[in-house]
Amino acid sequence: MLPSFRGGWPAAGIGLLLLFPLSSPDAFFLDVFTTGFLLAAFAASWDVVGGIAGQVTLGHALPFGAAAYACALLTSLAGWPLPLAVAAAILLAAAVGAGVGTLSAPLSGPFVALLTLALGEIAHEAAAGNTFFSGPGGYAWGGEGGIPVALPWQDAPPFASYYVALCFLCLASFAMLRFSRSGAGLILRAVAGSPITAQASGVPIARFKRLAFTVGSAFAGATGAGFAIHVGRATATDLSLELSFQAATFAAVGGRGTIVGPVVAALVLHVLFQGLSLPPAARVLLYALTLMVTLRFFPGGVVGTVREAAWRVRWKNGTGSFRRRGRGRPGEGGS
Amino acid sequence: MTALLSAEGITKSFGATRVIEGIALSIAPGEPVGLFGPNGSGKTTLVNILSGLLFPDAGTVRFEGKEITRLPIDARYRLGVARTFQIPHPYPALSVHEALRVALAADPGNRSAGEGARGDEEGAIEDLLARTGLFNQRLVPCALLSQGCLRRLEFARAFACRPKLLILDEVFSALSALDEKELLDLLLAANRDDGTAFLLVSHNPPLLKSLCRRILVLEEGRIVRERRV
Repeated sequence: MLPSFRGGWPAAGIGLLLLFPLSSPDAFFLDVFTTGFLLAAFAASWDVVGGIAGQVTLGHALPFGAAAYACALLTSLAGWPLPLAVAAAILLAAAVGAGVGTLSAPLSGPFVALLTLALGEIAHEAAAGNTFFSGPGGYAWGGEGGIPVALPWQDAPPFASYYVALCFLCLASFAMLRFSRSGAGLILRAVAGSPITAQASGVPIARFKRLAFTVGSAFAGATGAGFAIHVGRATATDLSLELSFQAATFAAVGGRGTIVGPVVAALVLHVLFQGLSLPPAARVLLYALTLMVTLRFFPGGVVGTVREAAWRVRWKNGTGSFRRRGRGRPGEGGS
Repeated sequence: MTALLSAEGITKSFGATRVIEGIALSIAPGEPVGLFGPNGSGKTTLVNILSGLLFPDAGTVRFEGKEITRLPIDARYRLGVARTFQIPHPYPALSVHEALRVALAADPGNRSAGEGARGDEEGAIEDLLARTGLFNQRLVPCALLSQGCLRRLEFARAFACRPKLLILDEVFSALSALDEKELLDLLLAANRDDGTAFLLVSHNPPLLKSLCRRILVLEEGRIVRERRV
């Protein structure tokens, strides 16, 4: 008998991923998976803001990149120990998220996307176009070359990065799932579904939108710091629109507001497209095609569409006009 | 006696169009009041201002003697001013039970008191479901509810804050006879048993006469008549 979806399938997937390095894969594939785990966590963090809270952001790379740069600067320039720098980077990302959330709280729909796009692009252009510091030995820091992260180790074995990234993905996804199923997550889903009804139900929606941006950005920051550590530097690409768009695409394909959907979509699509060693232009084209096909045939994303179909099958008899069943009481029929 | 809700000199314009002008009204605790007027007379704008969805350009709104003119709709809900919408805007992905949990979470006592309050919350939800006849639909996603059930959910959501004043915008339109009767009974019971005052907006004079003690007639943004029933 197949294990139930709720517990068995994720456990089976994690088990396979744990066993994968034992098959002595190429270091390239381990790196592809490691990056995939981080992208999957980033996609899930986008889903907290854009899916669960319904605030479609195109500037989610901003907290990701801010944390990557903070991690690089604090370790290389200020000489902070790595764990302290990572903690500070996550706090900075959360603060950036709170700021973006405060600015975007009075807005809705496409205006949130435009504002976050503008904020993200300002940061990206600033990071790409400026050389901030002259580092030791006369090297220029900043600009397209980015800023190196001072790591306390040299050349970590690929499988170590793989397992650390996998562990991070599992913990971060679990935490985000718990958040999405908490009371705050329920209110955020209400805000996403109908802001006006949420407000008329006593929900201070600006505060909850800010909360979504803060929490999602904190997780994006943790991922950004992890990515900078993995590649050894923070670069302007960490703040790019392409990265934000990629996260939004993973969420749309996997199913917005499901956390699990974007994680799976990010892993599958990244590993597939990157593993085939396709040129970047072909990968972008494939991402765009996947998005178009999903939006056309699975508008709720794969997980969202499956869930909706299950609802409709389950409640197909409950959609008609209200049928008098008396004042139902707990334990009396119903569902 | 202090009015439960009072408004004075309420004026609102959208661009160059003055929608309502100099409106004054008051509602006593437990009083059922009707608001009647033709299309475009400013009923919904007035209701939006009284419920905090819009702020007036001029004038003041007071609730239990306290000025609430610039208080947003969510804060007014927590004070005990609940409203329903002419067209319900449900949360498509949430079940009926979850929608009511959201409404109950607005109560600061429920939000912060932990597990004990969680038990109270379940009890309150069951009570709301039973009162509005939605118990059998409690796990149905709101996107799949019929119009009648959506109206019932609007009532349940409004009752969740134990309102002192209900503002009901065209709440009985487009309903089956059975749904209309049950919701009328529900409203009358809340008024009779809990002392809930209400302001009912309707195009249906016989309905207003049967439910309300006082009917305000709005025309071209002004209250032109007040009729006691």
